[in-house]
Amino acid sequence: MLELALKGTKRYYGWVTGLLLVAGIGVVFWLWQLQFGLGITGMSRSVSWGFYIAQFTFLVGVAAGGLMVVLPYYLHNYKAFGRITILGEFLAISALVMCLLFIMVDLGQPNRMLNVLFYPTPHSMLFWDMIVLNGYLFLNIIVGWNVLEAERNNVPPPKWLKPFIYLSIPWAVGIHTVTAYLYCGLPGRGFWMTAILAPRFLASAFAAGPAFLVLLCMLIRKVTRFDPGKEQIQTLGKIITYAIIINVFFFLCEVFVAMYSQIPEHMDHLTYLFAGLHGHDTLVPFMWAAQLLMVTAILLLINPNARKNEPVLAVACVMVFIGTWLDKGLGMISGGFVPDPLHHVIEYTPTIPELIITAGVWAVGFLVLTALFKIAIGVKEEVMGEMG
Amino acid sequence: MKKAADHTKPKRYGMVIDLDKCTGCGACMVACFAENNIPFKKDESEKLLSITWMRVYKLSNKKKYPDTDICYLPRPCMHCEGHEGHSPCVSVCPATVTDYSTETGIVSQIYTRCFGCRYCMAACPYHARYFNWWDPVWPKGMEKMLSPDVSVRMRGVVEKCSFCYHRYQRAKDKAYVEGRTDVEEEEYQTACTQACPARAITFGDLNNPKHKVYELKQDPHAFRLLERLGTNPKVYYVSSREWVRKSGDNYLKHEEPGHIATKH
Repeated sequence: MLELALKGTKRYYGWVTGLLLVAGIGVVFWLWQLQFGLGITGMSRSVSWGFYIAQFTFLVGVAAGGLMVVLPYYLHNYKAFGRITILGEFLAISALVMCLLFIMVDLGQPNRMLNVLFYPTPHSMLFWDMIVLNGYLFLNIIVGWNVLEAERNNVPPPKWLKPFIYLSIPWAVGIHTVTAYLYCGLPGRGFWMTAILAPRFLASAFAAGPAFLVLLCMLIRKVTRFDPGKEQIQTLGKIITYAIIINVFFFLCEVFVAMYSQIPEHMDHLTYLFAGLHGHDTLVPFMWAAQLLMVTAILLLINPNARKNEPVLAVACVMVFIGTWLDKGLGMISGGFVPDPLHHVIEYTPTIPELIITAGVWAVGFLVLTALFKIAIGVKEEVMGEMG
Repeated sequence: MKKAADHTKPKRYGMVIDLDKCTGCGACMVACFAENNIPFKKDESEKLLSITWMRVYKLSNKKKYPDTDICYLPRPCMHCEGHEGHSPCVSVCPATVTDYSTETGIVSQIYTRCFGCRYCMAACPYHARYFNWWDPVWPKGMEKMLSPDVSVRMRGVVEKCSFCYHRYQRAKDKAYVEGRTDVEEEEYQTACTQACPARAITFGDLNNPKHKVYELKQDPHAFRLLERLGTNPKVYYVSSREWVRKSGDNYLKHEEPGHIATKH
């Protein structure tokens, strides 16, 4: 089926070339980083994880979000989603590729990466994260590819695939749970040290992933002959509504516990993020913007008439995606490091090379996404053609 | 050799630092740089990117004259024991680069195995771990003066205080040659301990009643940094000043830290 990704219109080639260009620039800067060291980034002793790991965390969510189309179809036999499960799976694959690349660009000595396998230890959550992320990537490739091939050949998917499909459902929950465990088991990092971190990650994942999928579905309808379907988009809209409400609710639970208990280790991070601490307030406008976007999106989505209006739904989805990105991709990691365990406020801002490398990884992810979606839609169009 | 191992009971090397004696001269930091081949920058004003295995912090009681008071606090790696070796950095390392030795109580770091994920830095509440953001650059000719006992690190790996472990190895070799099974207290001392002109730092086996640290750590004014996190550090601090002891953890306004200090 790979050949389907090679045939396309001029516009398709233009888009691919553009992505290749951004990815190429990213690679050049990454080579520079490899040669010089991570000193070209804005990270420091106090904030030792920055933009790369933040993107990684957010994208694990997007990958897990694919579950929201797979689960209703396979566990609840919700037929309508049969049309778009492949899109959810392929979105997960490209998000996972980005996750793994973001980890790779964050390593000081990526050439020694395999030491995770040579000197493994079950004590480290990063070891488990390596297993769940690669495992989920593998599951999605196996399931997505075989289901699509069966669809192309007008045959039911092979029987041996079923266990993999069922396994992929709890596995999706697993990837984001383990990713939350990376952070929430560290003594001295009060912002992350909360049992609700994994549920909160999942809630934002189930909002951000489907929101992105809705936007992709609308785009697909516009630029191809395949229509993912009105009902499908509306059901996703409902899922996003629940997920984003739960996400904001979980966040408010967090705020209550920290602010009412007045425990400095937990309170100071929120104070830093939303009001500034000791005169440092770089993230304050971003954090308020995140909350504003998410709350506005809820107000739009909760009203059935507004939600049924597709342009409104699209706007709400953009808000959900950007809001959760700011909340998780920007505030979550920096917020955990600032103030540090000795309560010094040392801020972090990414550097230009860091942002270029980040853009490069996103471009690679979109390249994978474009190719996979091209294949999936190519097959859908073929099947439609055969049916006349 | 087997016989020797049988007769050696597990050690817990640690420090007791008297903050009332520390003058903040920084000799410990300099001695540490020279001893452990620690790279430095041409411009050391940006401390966030510096590598300082031993770092002297300046604390202040933030009061106006005449009540104003300051205190200097030297901070090496705490060599946290955690609970049964579950110290924060050891437990998170995905490649078993860092390990808690049950023989010496020293938290080790294998530089050539580390791939620079910096998870240990996120886990360490003391900022005792440092990342090589670039390759070390030595002033011309200085590479010939580096210590042959300590390997030089490259960009992209994490490093930290080792309690001058090479000195322990040297002392052990000497003891073995001389037919002894154990290392004497004065035979194994860290560079910072010996460099301190105020004798503020005392180093030894916290388990050994013959070592000075055994007695000193039981001082009623002894405390450890962020003790309540349960990291079980092996570096003790002593100060007669209450505000100094209070700076060692995040206490609430009216909390009395002296009353909850635990002894180990």
